Amino acid sequence: MNNELLKQQIIEALNLEDITPADIQDDAPLFGEGLGLDSIDALELFVLLEKQYGIKLQNKEEGKQVFQSVNKMAEYIEQHRTK
Amino acid sequence: MTAIIADHIISPLADGTAANLDAVLADRSAIRRYADHFPLVEPFCASLFAPAEIKMQAGFSRFESLCINAVQYSAEGLDAGLLSAKDTVFILSTTKGNIEFLAQTEDIALCDSAKRIARFFGNTNTPIVVSNACISGVCAIITAKRLLDEGIYTNAVIVGCDVLSPFIISGFQSFKALSDEPCKPYDATRKGLNLGEAAACLVLSSDSRWASRSLGTVMAGSIHNDANHISGPSRTGEGSYLCLKDVITDLDTLAFVNVHGTATLYNDEMESIALNRAGLQNVPVNALKGYFGHTLGAAGLLETILSLHALHRGIILGTHGFDQAGTTMPVSVSSATRRTDKKEFVKLLSGFGGCNAAIRVSIEPTATSEQIPMPDACRISGEVHITPTAVTVNGQPVATKAQGGALLSELYRTYSGDYPKFFKMDTLARLGFVASELLLSGIGEERFVPRTDRAIVMANRSSCLQNDRAYQKTIMPDNYYPSPALFVYTLPNIVTGEIAIRNKFFGESSFYVLDNEEQMKPLVSSAFMQRGVQSVLAGWVECADENTFEAHICLIEKND
Repeated sequence: MNNELLKQQIIEALNLEDITPADIQDDAPLFGEGLGLDSIDALELFVLLEKQYGIKLQNKEEGKQVFQSVNKMAEYIEQHRTK
Repeated sequence: MTAIIADHIISPLADGTAANLDAVLADRSAIRRYADHFPLVEPFCASLFAPAEIKMQAGFSRFESLCINAVQYSAEGLDAGLLSAKDTVFILSTTKGNIEFLAQTEDIALCDSAKRIARFFGNTNTPIVVSNACISGVCAIITAKRLLDEGIYTNAVIVGCDVLSPFIISGFQSFKALSDEPCKPYDATRKGLNLGEAAACLVLSSDSRWASRSLGTVMAGSIHNDANHISGPSRTGEGSYLCLKDVITDLDTLAFVNVHGTATLYNDEMESIALNRAGLQNVPVNALKGYFGHTLGAAGLLETILSLHALHRGIILGTHGFDQAGTTMPVSVSSATRRTDKKEFVKLLSGFGGCNAAIRVSIEPTATSEQIPMPDACRISGEVHITPTAVTVNGQPVATKAQGGALLSELYRTYSGDYPKFFKMDTLARLGFVASELLLSGIGEERFVPRTDRAIVMANRSSCLQNDRAYQKTIMPDNYYPSPALFVYTLPNIVTGEIAIRNKFFGESSFYVLDNEEQMKPLVSSAFMQRGVQSVLAGWVECADENTFEAHICLIEKND
């Protein structure tokens, strides 16, 4: 899983204008600080996983685990992707 | 006096107010599980009409037919001329109207539907559409009360309805807001809401000739924004608390609070906090979503009407689906029917865009209601006009380089620049947002000071069609990935929520869909008829597509 590609997909999916992949650290929390993401962004990341990787998360709790950082997300995608 | 003189409810449970009340008293629920109802849409639980249950009117959609039927049955027994009278206004409460046809046609404007419904009854006044997310029904009653109190109209026919289609259901699914089983308001094991279809009509009159028919009086109403988040309920219940505080004067006469009670974790938790802050922890509380689901634009009317008729029978209705308390703050949920001899109830709602509304209703036919007059004189303290090619602030042109949608981004970067959420907004919200930024930064008042005394009232003709199209593209058969970030903006009132959040305005936030800007005037003035309102941020924010829009907004202040 290419972290740079994933970062680019996150930026596009969440309309993070003025943010570049270099601004997102691999192991920094995606939520809570930094990027200023909110609960709607979290839901939009569900859509990203399904659309790009065929992964369907069941609930918000699962999302919290997966969206801890770009590294965590990439790891999860590697293990569970269906496309 | 704003008397309730007629009403009617049509739901999948029953046709008629009394029949619906009897069904609720028999503890019946219309919520069923649907596995393959709409292609692509995941299985869901909802309360839906079977096609044969809707009496279709020739030439009208099922949404419009339901509205017409609800009005027609309400009017039985009323003077034949009341519906068509010059001093009768039609007010339509809906979130999405005919949205189920968007994939085929864009001829789905809410104000056109409203006009067709009013004309069906020979009413020639231009109707008002209240599209304020889930609080629309209660807002429509408040708008009617204000217009009647001020003598602008004598009678108001308020009809609320939404019908369900893949557009709405997929959106709520993308929000992970739906429960896959019948909903359980306020219960410890609640998992989310169920949607429902219904139409409900309430006729209000200030004409003393109808006093003998009066079923009750709308005593007071209040609308407040949480100024917190466009989709997440406030953790302090601020808006709902402010509404409850405004409308409740005497706990001794209050039989119950009929809450929103959607059965999502966050809504019911938020309400329990607001109820406690308002000192209502021992007042009986009930929620009707377990019988009908969340009926969106109909909810405020349907739930008010049932509460009214239950109270006439001396009854506090139960809360279907509730078993074990599940909110951190204690509330006195009525799980089953109980008796009361009190004469008043409160209806509370909250919705996307951070909006909240409450009314207090008395079953006394001619009770003296709270009436706050419109101010004698106001002044305009700032005015902004934006088109795709020109911007003026207080009549002075502002030099800009870009045009169309890029102009809005340029204005944001020049005059704000510190609010990246701007880029997540749809064009309608961007337009209202930059117009309000220009206006508020230009009048010299201190920004971002929390205030409850300023209302935001906005309107347009096209609702949020540009963003509806964008959301529709995410639910097409060959590309079905419903986008929550787009769905939230399929409610036109989100623009008022964005401005409230940005500026910490905890006052009213309302959105109307109207035929023209002129029609806004009495509605803007009437926003001063809420307790404590000193100023109104009023705006006509029309947006046909990303590059075609017009905003005309001003700040109107009461003269001291």
